[in-house]
Amino acid sequence: MHARRFAVCLGSVAVLVAAGGAQAAWRDGGEAYEKVCRYCHEANVGPVLKGRALPAEYIQRVVRMGNRAMPAFRRSEIDDATLADVARRISTSAALARE
Amino acid sequence: MSSKNKALPKGVSAGDFDQALREIRAIVGDEHVQIEDEQLAPYNKIMMPVPDAQHAPSAAVTPDGVEQIQRIMKVANKYRVPVYPISTGKNLGYGSAAPVQRGQIVMDLRRMNRILEVDADLCTALVEPGVTYQQLYDYLQEHKLPLWFSCPAPSAIAGPVGNMVDRGVGYTPYGEHFMFSCGMEVVLADGQVLRTGMGAMENSNTWQVFKWGYGPTLDGMFTQSNYGVVTKMGMWLMPAPPDFRPFCIQYPNETDITKIVEALRPLRIAMVIPNAVVIAHTLWEAPCTPVKRADYFTGPGAIPDEAVKKIQADHNIGAWNVYAGLYGTKETNDANWKIIEAVAAGTGGKIITQEQSKGSQALQYRFDLMKGKPNLGEFGLYNWRGGGGSIWFAPVSQAKGSETLKQMKMAKDILGKYGFDYVGEFIVGWRDMHHVIDLLYDRSDETQTKNAYACYDELLHTFAKEGYGMYRANTAFAEKVAATYGPVKRDVEKRLKKALDPNNIIAPGRCGISL
Repeated sequence: MHARRFAVCLGSVAVLVAAGGAQAAWRDGGEAYEKVCRYCHEANVGPVLKGRALPAEYIQRVVRMGNRAMPAFRRSEIDDATLADVARRISTSAALARE
Repeated sequence: MSSKNKALPKGVSAGDFDQALREIRAIVGDEHVQIEDEQLAPYNKIMMPVPDAQHAPSAAVTPDGVEQIQRIMKVANKYRVPVYPISTGKNLGYGSAAPVQRGQIVMDLRRMNRILEVDADLCTALVEPGVTYQQLYDYLQEHKLPLWFSCPAPSAIAGPVGNMVDRGVGYTPYGEHFMFSCGMEVVLADGQVLRTGMGAMENSNTWQVFKWGYGPTLDGMFTQSNYGVVTKMGMWLMPAPPDFRPFCIQYPNETDITKIVEALRPLRIAMVIPNAVVIAHTLWEAPCTPVKRADYFTGPGAIPDEAVKKIQADHNIGAWNVYAGLYGTKETNDANWKIIEAVAAGTGGKIITQEQSKGSQALQYRFDLMKGKPNLGEFGLYNWRGGGGSIWFAPVSQAKGSETLKQMKMAKDILGKYGFDYVGEFIVGWRDMHHVIDLLYDRSDETQTKNAYACYDELLHTFAKEGYGMYRANTAFAEKVAATYGPVKRDVEKRLKKALDPNNIIAPGRCGISL
């Protein structure tokens, strides 16, 4: 029973997925924020950034240099253009809705 | 920019360094060689209690493939310039992206982030070093593949190759990561490309399903070492179980660790509980809840036990908080759940189920990690003392209650002596426990930084005297930790280094291995 259930569970998916080896890149700053920044800055770990009109240059600098426990992010992780987009979005965003 | 003011590698002239960089630029392109201070800053952001300068890189190069790495190896050999390979570089508290020795050129493999293959029938993946767990998670979600992996706590930004190569651990039944890797591709110092296991054979289609191949199994040599640059790794994925039942069991007293371990070990060895059980102390849970230390203690030194008791009462946190899960069908999990309930009742523990966990940040990130869902919830730890200082002290223990209590007391005494809190957890492997302690300190405070270094040093040597060794260590202490494992092992490691990398160009000093 046990084994059969597991088999059924997997039976409907593709046999082999070959990803083709494409390099992954950020779609835009919004995606980078959602997939990285948000995990701390909307989760009581790092300070909330949205809605504070923080200068975009400051945001970019902290991302590249790190700050205390905030890790630094390299160009190989986020390119300059995407980082500028992240910073612009944060800088001009409305405050988070309070729960 | 000339290399005049740079942190040059030991024994390399400015002229040779500049020439090597010119040749490396020709291989990868100008934009993928970084040498300006501002560009190198993110490679030098460390949490260890030593000066940044000790781990300053001279340059960073970001190749985009095996062939480029092979060519870089030739240049490195020609000019005897050491390179320090990193994957995602997010091994925070263990060294991050900074080289083990000042002046090494960081070889940043983050651009190599291709998920090369996922086989949904065999439940395997083949990935490059720059792939993050978040990326792999998204890939599996997008393709609607009901497959899980195990990841460490910094999962959203860390990746499987780097973590497996450093023999990191996670929280699902596949939590001993290296054990669930299968097949590596390694660029050797002489530029040859080795595929381990079945991958050595041309046209083999069993590289990701059979680990051993023929003759000596070499994979382990490329973990916690500097014998090659790992450029691909196979990993096993777990079929998502039809029923997943994570839980927490809270215990009121520090001394309860003895009975907890005695009660849970048989269930773990027999795989009633198939994942790496975590037994987390109050002060691991508190920062992730989040609780502010300053609300309970503002004096100098370690937080007193009475304050810890108050935190437990105020925030419904146990002295120990056991995290584990049942992975199976509803029927099997119903049957095993009765065992868990009996164990909790018999040991005085209070069970918290997934339904009861709603609203608790600390419980939620743990429950997510137990199904391999990336997050960064554990970074809450860094708010406990603030100031961005962290050293992981991680001795291995037998999974026996008396041993865990002994280690906990030893660690707590030494930490207290230097004014640091015991922020620890035990991760139950199968028969072992990784006793993981985050030595948190304020890196902007000179005295705390000095004390943190001295504290780790005393912890390391006191534990070694009792026969307890580290499972992993940060780059600042690599040499000292390696020394605790005795001269014969180190001699063999050195002879292997001489055979495989006679010019000592791959990460010399990594895990204490150098010529």
